[in-house]
Amino acid sequence: MLVTLIRTLIIFITLFTVIRLMGKRQICEMQPFEFIITLIISDLACIPMSDVSIPLVYGIVSILGLFLLHQLISLLEKSGNFCKLVFSGKPSVVIDKWGVNIKELKKNDMGVEDLIESMRSMGYFSLDDLDYAIYESNGKLSALEKDSEKKGSAIPFLVVADGKVKKNNLYKLNITENDLDNFLKDKRVKARDVEVLTADDNGRVYLKVKNKKYEITSLKSIGEK
Amino acid sequence: MKKTIITIIAVVILLTVGAVYENRFILNEFNDFDTSLSTLYSKIENQTATDLDVYAVQSKWVEKKRHLHAFIPHNEIKEVDLWLAESVIYVKNKQWEEALPKIEVLRELAEQIPITFSVRLENIL
Repeated sequence: MLVTLIRTLIIFITLFTVIRLMGKRQICEMQPFEFIITLIISDLACIPMSDVSIPLVYGIVSILGLFLLHQLISLLEKSGNFCKLVFSGKPSVVIDKWGVNIKELKKNDMGVEDLIESMRSMGYFSLDDLDYAIYESNGKLSALEKDSEKKGSAIPFLVVADGKVKKNNLYKLNITENDLDNFLKDKRVKARDVEVLTADDNGRVYLKVKNKKYEITSLKSIGEK
Repeated sequence: MKKTIITIIAVVILLTVGAVYENRFILNEFNDFDTSLSTLYSKIENQTATDLDVYAVQSKWVEKKRHLHAFIPHNEIKEVDLWLAESVIYVKNKQWEEALPKIEVLRELAEQIPITFSVRLENIL
């Protein structure tokens, strides 16, 4: 019985560490330790049920062991902020008044594409539709919407993400690489310094350069040059 | 918070008591079984064993395994059943040379099975 319990503890700790290291994209509306318990508990219940050569008490003890861990972690979380930080992590502000926070995204093993995808599922299509966006510790995105007047009206495409140009999206926007180079030259920015650049069919551009506040500009300036 | 602490204490007590009981129960049952096997082994060595002696050990085992099923994988219990059944035939036919190794294996099983339930590194890994 004690051996089963110890094995359960070892599997739990291993899975917990891995899931915490994986970041928020691996979980959905569950705290990491709750996600692990959900993963393990179904098998623990199934194996002794389907394999009659295994005493049922093995499954029961393992499940009780998981329950004990769950209760202990809940208690520790309530006891202090440090424990809560260790077990559940903290929310990540991925969009703030400076624009997209690439550092925070990277900390959670995410990219701008993942952020845009999460925003789209919430009904926001442009990065500047939001004043603030926060990935909660359960992996859910919370957003503070901008005034509707300031919002864009066309779907933007990701043109540059973390210094890398997305050529497919350039093609969709009918922009050449030269146009983009000219635009960046005009802005006195190098492509590798661009954290995020999106553009829509109306030529509305969201530009976020490393260590600078984001700006909303227009691609039409390229044509004028 | 109070409810969480109460449930933690309750589960810890339950699991600790359960673990201690399981360990002692298995050890006692197999020690007792080993004593019976040891007596049978001596009788076989002296060629004085009868089929009644083996049946007595067998019925003792049948009684024990009813409770052991709750803690031990059923395949291990089945293994003891098979070795015991074989030794019954050999003793019945007075084939002492063949019966002795069977009892020896049973004694080894009675010694090893409780060890697999003890808290040891090799059992955990």
